[in-house]
Amino acid sequence: MTAVPVEVEPVETEPTETVGEPELDEDQLTDRPWLVIVWNDPVNLMNYVVYVFQKLFGYSKEKATRLMLQVHHEGKAVVSDGTREKAEADVSRLHAHGLWATMEHPA
Amino acid sequence: MSRRFKRRRGGGVRVSLSEPEIELLRTIPGELGGVLSAPPDPDDPVRTRLFPRAYLDPTDEDSEREWQELVHPELVRERLAALELLTASLDRAKHAKDSASVDLTPEETEAWLGVLNDARLALGTRLGVSEEPDVEMVEEDSPEAAGHAVYQWLTWVQGELVDALLG
Repeated sequence: MTAVPVEVEPVETEPTETVGEPELDEDQLTDRPWLVIVWNDPVNLMNYVVYVFQKLFGYSKEKATRLMLQVHHEGKAVVSDGTREKAEADVSRLHAHGLWATMEHPA
Repeated sequence: MSRRFKRRRGGGVRVSLSEPEIELLRTIPGELGGVLSAPPDPDDPVRTRLFPRAYLDPTDEDSEREWQELVHPELVRERLAALELLTASLDRAKHAKDSASVDLTPEETEAWLGVLNDARLALGTRLGVSEEPDVEMVEEDSPEAAGHAVYQWLTWVQGELVDALLG
């Protein structure tokens, strides 16, 4: 991602809020969830990625910023999880917004 | 120059741009429409960036194909619709001496945001931009200089629009 034209303020402390964290239902506890991953790319703007995470997943600005920074610094981040159908829907929404997203079912 | 985007009460933004900026935006639907409507081409990096794979695991090829068949037409349709919304909103811009302004609905604002991002993805991929703007020192008279200038301008405009929306 690129920081032009605005630097996003660094997150100073580990956020303690858990609003918006995906909750596992009974099915998902017995059947491990699919993971939706967003990959770093050189074009998408940092503030745009924060905006998309907030809009699509309803995440707080803090959580969206933390995930964006994880993508930026580590190259990727798991942004949501759930059933295969949910993961497919999330990936298509992320693609519609120009983010590079994939899904996987970890062994 | 004053701010290009101001959030409106009740949603959407007011856009204020110079005439050359309006004219530049008008060229995007023509350029991007062709790229979006072209048949899938796995060897075209712009196409694969605009429409990436969903399934990471190459052994999930069947799932990938089914998913693409399901969502690809809709992704193309949405993006083409956004281009039409951009053009329609530019058509009703009010022109003053050297500038023009137009009030965008929330739906049109999202369309602008999507088009600006798609244009940057397509142009940035074609130019091979990296995360470090400093290494993109392009000779002024090189064939790619104009493309880099447009890319930089799109980056500023999109960044300002997102800032206005995040407010």
